[in-house]
Amino acid sequence: MNVIAAVKAYVTKITEESEPGMKVLMMDKETTSIISMVYSQSEIQQKEVYLLERISDSQTPNSGTPLRYLKCLVFVRPTTENIKSLCYELTRPKYGAYYIYFSNIIAKADIKLLAEHDEQEVVKEVQELYMDYLAVNPYLFSIGLINPIKDLSWDSDALQRSVSGVLSVLLSLKKCPLIRYQANSSLCNKLGSKINDIINKESTLFAFGQSSQALLLILDRRDDPITPLLNQWTYQAMVHELLTINNNRVNLSKIPGIPKELSEVVLSAEQDAFYAKNIFLNYGEIGQNIKQLMDDFQLKAKSHQKIESIADMKNFVDAYPQFKKLSGNVSKHVTVVGELSSMVNKYHLLDVSEIEQEITSQNDHSGHLQNIKKLIENEKVRPLDLVKLVILYTLRYQNHANNETTHLIEMLKKRNIPDHLLVNIIYVSEYSSSISSQNDLYNVQDAVKITKRFFKGLSGVDNVYTQHKPLLQEILEEIVKGKLKENLYPCVGVNTFNNRPQEIIVFMVGGVTYEESLAVHYFNKNHPSFKILLGGTSIHNSNTFLEEVKNAVFNIPKKHSRKLIRHINH
Amino acid sequence: MAEANTFREGFLCPVCHKDLRSPQKLITHFQDSHSEEQDILKSIKEFYGKAKKKILKLEEQDLDIRSEPIQEKLTLDYDEFWKPQPSGSSRSHIDFFRAIRRRRLDHQTAETNKLIIRLDRLLRLDGTARKQQEQFLVAWIDGTTVSRCPSCASSFNIARRQHHCRLCGSIMCNDCSVFLPFDRAHSIVAPVQNLGISSKEGLKGRNNDSFRICSHCASMVEHRRMIQAEQMMQPIISQLYAHLQNLKSNIQSEVDLYEKMYRSLTDGESTFKLQDAQTLKASIGAKAETIDTISKKIASLPEDESSVIKIEALQNSIRRATSNYIKDYLLTLPPLPSVQELAAIKRYRSLRYSEEEEQNSDKIEIKRVTVTTGWSPSSLEKSVQSEGDPLIDQMNIVRNYIAQAKEAQRFEEVVSLEENLRLLKEAYRQSQLTKIDEKSESKLQKNS
Repeated sequence: MNVIAAVKAYVTKITEESEPGMKVLMMDKETTSIISMVYSQSEIQQKEVYLLERISDSQTPNSGTPLRYLKCLVFVRPTTENIKSLCYELTRPKYGAYYIYFSNIIAKADIKLLAEHDEQEVVKEVQELYMDYLAVNPYLFSIGLINPIKDLSWDSDALQRSVSGVLSVLLSLKKCPLIRYQANSSLCNKLGSKINDIINKESTLFAFGQSSQALLLILDRRDDPITPLLNQWTYQAMVHELLTINNNRVNLSKIPGIPKELSEVVLSAEQDAFYAKNIFLNYGEIGQNIKQLMDDFQLKAKSHQKIESIADMKNFVDAYPQFKKLSGNVSKHVTVVGELSSMVNKYHLLDVSEIEQEITSQNDHSGHLQNIKKLIENEKVRPLDLVKLVILYTLRYQNHANNETTHLIEMLKKRNIPDHLLVNIIYVSEYSSSISSQNDLYNVQDAVKITKRFFKGLSGVDNVYTQHKPLLQEILEEIVKGKLKENLYPCVGVNTFNNRPQEIIVFMVGGVTYEESLAVHYFNKNHPSFKILLGGTSIHNSNTFLEEVKNAVFNIPKKHSRKLIRHINH
Repeated sequence: MAEANTFREGFLCPVCHKDLRSPQKLITHFQDSHSEEQDILKSIKEFYGKAKKKILKLEEQDLDIRSEPIQEKLTLDYDEFWKPQPSGSSRSHIDFFRAIRRRRLDHQTAETNKLIIRLDRLLRLDGTARKQQEQFLVAWIDGTTVSRCPSCASSFNIARRQHHCRLCGSIMCNDCSVFLPFDRAHSIVAPVQNLGISSKEGLKGRNNDSFRICSHCASMVEHRRMIQAEQMMQPIISQLYAHLQNLKSNIQSEVDLYEKMYRSLTDGESTFKLQDAQTLKASIGAKAETIDTISKKIASLPEDESSVIKIEALQNSIRRATSNYIKDYLLTLPPLPSVQELAAIKRYRSLRYSEEEEQNSDKIEIKRVTVTTGWSPSSLEKSVQSEGDPLIDQMNIVRNYIAQAKEAQRFEEVVSLEENLRLLKEAYRQSQLTKIDEKSESKLQKNS
């Protein structure tokens, strides 16, 4: 169940089925992202693909002679628009041969339409290859949807897209799963039954004849609105929270004085050994590793400095390409880590995070209140970080006798924090209470070992900044023990109940986080007999999450937070 | 922020051990304070550039192209526990697609073929009584009932007369007629013969003549001509590219062999000779140079007069891919050990080897047999005479072949021959062993 391997295998299939020759790859916007998640342009060039083309550009009238000696590999989603563009292309073919691949199930009628337009017999292949999702890590995928939920129900396009996305994951991994969903969420129920309908309709496609059945578990983000709000301290999660990763790309152009070649960097574990090694390590360990990386680099640079004999020169020539590559990588990671560390210091993120973690995992109302108040006084802390803290406090102590949310809001107002930020407090509490809670939001262990030292030891698991465990982890533990309650997570349709599946695909409506991805990583490591794959409508950091929450509840009457509304003009 | 100190200690300058507190500062510090070393580095880069040009005739800029990192074999920490998985599902619709397409196109193909056959026959006609013969080949439609041109709907009269398409026999007016010149008709019927020299013997003075045909037939015939022309035409870029790919696949086998040789040499084995590996590396270098030149030639091909912008992008892309290929696969080949290094490796290995031999001392005798019998291929005749065992004869012959193959620089064959030799040795060893066994058995029998 490795989604990156699955996509890579498909791309190899596409490039190899068309036999040797110069090739052009025609894609749409979404399939371009899908491919670029796992392949860089120079890699795909080594597979004889020398040109990339957008299918939407093929509509523009093309003057000049056709390039008959080029083979065109088409990889697009099976949308009406794409079919239309393809028909147009086939009536006036620019290239000698066409190999057409769709990223999902396509209707017979559309194939018929294409066949009727292929008057010059240029089409050599028509296939469905199921890579209709973004493969982020080997066991993490995303559909890449922005704001799939409007007014607490599915946007119909987003629902359709999620159904095809999850189906393509299942097909690319050859799994015909049992589907369970979170009972209190109509969003999960709807998605689950739609997926089930298509599996039943396309039963020949899903006949894999496997002995053990996988489990597809559909969860709702509203059950755990905490995780996406927290500051993160592992490399991938931290970069996403502070700098935002978009399809493996990080935009650094806002850093003053950044060199042009570093204004956008690619962070891909498939192509970058340092990133692959550090993706799940914490801030302290990355600091050490980056130093190691620098040292190695300096050592190499030094060894290249003394060139006295012909033999030295020859060695240098031999090693130079590797050296060059290394230097690009070093400056990339040094820049990224440097930016992270300057943000951490500038905004006192360590202090913020410590309080965040304490609220989520300990029981000390007055202490937490004091700490938040103290932090509000601190001018260096960013307004949004304070708002997030108050949100966490509100969610945590909404039923506490001495709840002082309104007082905290007044304090934030005194710090001149604008209403458009404060209103997030209302949005999140509406979002979270729109679903009757079936799990305790905060998983507070009574005997929390308070370790005040930062990055104690190298494991970094027991430190004060990573006390919080996402709800997902608890659910996974229950599955492993075969204790996931059937009334809370029922099956779709009438299915024979298998209590202990070995392969579990978790899909979260409303997006997942890299903290959850990390939890899955450790889970897979600690339970070698189980394989967990995590996916979501998108991958959130706190900004994108608040944006999505706002969209989900904007027009909904605010039933649960009337008390707070009086204090915020929104 | 006292607690952060532990990790901040990390950003030390490796030269002067000053704590710079952030990696960015460290870089700037290194650039400022240790600039002299940067200078050295820079001068080396220039020196290197010149050397590179001499060695591979590569331009410096080609090496400086910032490229995304090329695929590496990474052992990712996080996917070590994922087992290889079967490839994902796929579903082909090409049969259904073809069925639909065939239904639509069969008619057209048959029609075109019919026209081509008729055209061929028409071209073979002699000059006399052409019209009758034409009507004999293609039945003309009876024009008495047709009062208007079917394609432009103008009525026929004395000024606008009826004409017949020579290919399908249908009726049209003069304005709607298309004229197909004979020489073009010839090239459609027999494209290969007419490629260079237009076969003049068949034309018989009708060079300027042409067939009157309808626009429908014209478009079908023209379409076929276009396809044929494109099949025939091999643009320079395709030829160069085919050559390039050919060389690449050649070089790949050499690189594989080189890597094998390198591993074997650094392991201290004597399967390959150091000189052989050096020759091979030189040959790879020479091929890399040729590849580089070809890709440059592709990049600098003149643009087609009617070309789309794409061609330029294509040419540059091929060039870039090739220079990446050279950089990442050919220039990174590990350097061979020097003679001294090799000797050291061999010494180390022989030391280990003798230790092993001591451990299984029962095999020593047999090994010595294989080593002492006529190792040098030049002493072929002598060893043939000296040894009566057919296996040993065979082994000596193979050794002779190996020597010849080495002279001819056919390392692949050397490898396969050495493999043969190894098998022969094995067989010989077995036979020796059984002999010993037989002897001891017979001894045992005697004793009993």
